[in-house]
Amino acid sequence: MEEERVNDAINALFYAGEAAVVALADEHEIDTKKHHGLKADAAGELHKKGVLAYDFGATLRILNQARKDIWYEGEEPELDGDLEDLVARVEELVEAAEAIG
Amino acid sequence: MSALRLCEQLSDLGWDRRTREDRDRAGRYQTPEQRAITAIVMSRAIAMGASGFALTGSTARKRRTAISDLDYHVIGRRPDVSDLPGDLDVIATSEARFRSRLIDGDDFAQWTLRCGCVLHDSGPMRDGVRLVVEMDLWPNAQRKLDSLDIHRAEVERLIHMGDQDAAHEQLRAMLTTAARGLLLQARIFPLARKELPAQLERAGYGPLARILDRMIHVAPQLDELEGGLQVLDATLDTERVRLSA
Repeated sequence: MEEERVNDAINALFYAGEAAVVALADEHEIDTKKHHGLKADAAGELHKKGVLAYDFGATLRILNQARKDIWYEGEEPELDGDLEDLVARVEELVEAAEAIG
Repeated sequence: MSALRLCEQLSDLGWDRRTREDRDRAGRYQTPEQRAITAIVMSRAIAMGASGFALTGSTARKRRTAISDLDYHVIGRRPDVSDLPGDLDVIATSEARFRSRLIDGDDFAQWTLRCGCVLHDSGPMRDGVRLVVEMDLWPNAQRKLDSLDIHRAEVERLIHMGDQDAAHEQLRAMLTTAARGLLLQARIFPLARKELPAQLERAGYGPLARILDRMIHVAPQLDELEGGLQVLDATLDTERVRLSA
């Protein structure tokens, strides 16, 4: 994938993953206060409550750091694995959020 | 920002004074919780062999906003901070990359040296100051302005999708980049984000100053985000005309 498309993909994955966590957090009365760090924390809390089968907090933190590297620093992002893995994790997260209707 | 000019930091005495003042400022500008987090991040970075560590961003200028991260610049490998609370942003570069970023006109590396609080340095940050002074380095304004097209495409995509929060954040990043580019072009070193509107206003970019200030302090609707793009376009058009005259 071209570098520019990778950058777009990281942004899209990050915002999709965060939106899914916020939807689930609102449903379970966990306040995220529009802070990226709190949204990642909420993903961990949702896992502890059994709402999510996996703690997606690390996924959001990796994507957030990658996004900041790209948009604020103009640097190559460190993804800690394949982009495809991140896509799969965010898809799982979005499916969990979609399930609440 | 140290009261000492960069050229005054080149001597042993000057550098000692700068780092002493930086530690003092970092202590005063952070809450006890932030100081504890910073101490952990720094100890992890040093344990991984970091040769430089600085507190950067709005905290180092005592200009935090509700959306501010705790920002760090590490010369060395990036430590894992995933278990620490809050929004942390750790930029990690090798010594060689730090030096090349300075020479290539990167503004973030210079920001660390000019405005950051150096809390640990075994040489690269002091060498960086020397490099900036001796080579009379100034960040590349055009690079910031050239990146706006890519930002714009992303802002427009997010507005089109109706993702208000994401579009707001992306536009804020875009306007911040534009502000930094325009200020650097005017030979004004851009400070923390919260200080940019006042710097822009003083430099004659009033409309851009006001829209950036709103993007920092309020959550605008989608139509206002589109308006923000138009303000930026008008500012850049005026600037192009002024520069070509």
